[in-house]
Amino acid sequence: MNKLAELWSDIVTCWGESSSQYLTGALKTLELAVVATAIGCIIGLGCGIIQTIPCSKNDNIVKRIFLGIVKAIVRIYVEVFRGTPMIIQAIFIYYALPYFSNGAINLEVTFAAYLVVSINTGAYMAETVRGGIMSIDIGQTEGAKSIGMNHFKTMLYVILPQTIRNIIPQIGNNLIINVKDTSVMFVIGYAELFAAHKAIVGAKYIYFPSAVITLTIYLIMTVVFSLLLRLWEKKMDGPANFDVATTDTLAHTSGTYSFVKKSERRGR
Amino acid sequence: MSEPILQVNHLSKTFGKHEVLKDIDFSVNTGDVISIIGASGSGKSTLLRCINLLETPTSGEVIYHGTNIDKLKGGASAYRSHVGMVFQSFNLFNNMTALKNCIIGQTKVLGKSKAEAKKAALHYLGKVGMAPYINAKPSQLSGGQKQRVAIARALAMNPEVLLFDEPTSALDPQMVGEVLEVMRNLAGEGLTMIVVTHEMAFARDVSSRIVFMADGVICEEGTPTDIFENPKNEKTKEFLSRFLSR
Ligand SMILES: Nc1ncnc2c1ncn2[C@@H]1O[C@H](COP(=O)(O)OP(=O)(O)OP(=O)(O)O)[C@@H](O)[C@H]1O
Ligand SMILES: [Mg+2]
Repeated sequence: MNKLAELWSDIVTCWGESSSQYLTGALKTLELAVVATAIGCIIGLGCGIIQTIPCSKNDNIVKRIFLGIVKAIVRIYVEVFRGTPMIIQAIFIYYALPYFSNGAINLEVTFAAYLVVSINTGAYMAETVRGGIMSIDIGQTEGAKSIGMNHFKTMLYVILPQTIRNIIPQIGNNLIINVKDTSVMFVIGYAELFAAHKAIVGAKYIYFPSAVITLTIYLIMTVVFSLLLRLWEKKMDGPANFDVATTDTLAHTSGTYSFVKKSERRGR
Repeated sequence: MSEPILQVNHLSKTFGKHEVLKDIDFSVNTGDVISIIGASGSGKSTLLRCINLLETPTSGEVIYHGTNIDKLKGGASAYRSHVGMVFQSFNLFNNMTALKNCIIGQTKVLGKSKAEAKKAALHYLGKVGMAPYINAKPSQLSGGQKQRVAIARALAMNPEVLLFDEPTSALDPQMVGEVLEVMRNLAGEGLTMIVVTHEMAFARDVSSRIVFMADGVICEEGTPTDIFENPKNEKTKEFLSRFLSR
């Protein structure tokens, strides 16, 4: 009990002296995680869409070769950035330009951090989006084609809205992973929450109390995102009930019907 | 006789080594209600899907108002906006309400204004008895209701021909009636339809022509009286006797 009381008082002291540093770090972590996840999603959406463009033997040869090359590039990008640790990617990208230019060209730290996290997330999201598109029943595509939609319109109005709804949990996962994993950006000197912790304990001998504070801040951020994402999912699903339009004489009931999901049993 | 809307010439389709359709010829005139009947696996769905270019025929051609559909302006998409299709599994857009399902094609494919499209959608949804359910998502509807919305969606495109692939096969018996009723009314109004069906009573009462298929070929073709009262082909006789004795 004594030790716990001591820890608490250390935490209070530590927070009292350095709260602004922690909060600035947390804010930087949040900015990086949110922006890079958003950019990563856009990259992933683009790559996922490219990878699922149908290509039949009847298409002309130029289109097939072009599409083949683009798909191969996307594939390599995904494999490289999914298959290597982000901490090395950061070092690689941050130090490549100064190396090749003998120090003449340097990337800005913030820019490099956003770049690395975005393209790393993009590689994961590309696979998520590809899987999400493929998991949509072929009947949705055929329904869209049957009313004259081309591939582009089918994707835009029918397939992607459903794909995005289905991959929200994965987007959430990536956001939460990014909140935590952006901590590796300290290697290139990006001043996020973990870097703040390191700076604070470097100055004082309070490693453990500071770790508790840092951990708690990370946890608060991830839990809040978790809740927000649930809300977003709910919102995308629309109302669970629908109002029967009673202006029609065929409808003799008023109020709200609720056939939720039950009718899905007839689906394929 | 006027020029046919659709003409299928020497159409064949193979999947790998499996020859599913062999040298199919037939034509569709304005106002025709053609029922395609035949055993499971005889190639009925494949024929319909070839007509709508959901499958690419291996050889042969489909002529739409005198033009090969491969050479039509606007390609397959433009062609499909004139030749609608209703599926066994409905294929309503799960991310849209019944109303939106009937609007989206009109605005995004035909380029109609939102107000105009909504008006037409409400008209057709009313026609199939789905006016009270315009705000429901597909997952909130029964099978019969889904199929009626799917028919309204196809009608809202104002198609010249409507293809039906076993529209009632996925439905519980009490829902079959409500969908067939809608189709009967459409036939009565002169809509040109090609219907793949196992509903023999519907085929007999509503069709202007029956096409009987077996093993990828059209065995026999004629009026409902020809086919049901005096089938000539042995396979037709056998198929009908099995069906009618059930
Ligand atoms: N994509 C495909 N690949 C390979 N074979 C296929 C494919 N689609 C259909 N077939 C085959 O083609 C044959 C005809 O199928 P089709 O679906 O046209 O029959 P059908 O007459 O509609 O039967 P049913 O009454 O059961 O619906 C079947 O033997 C089927 O296995
Ligand atoms: Mg079939």
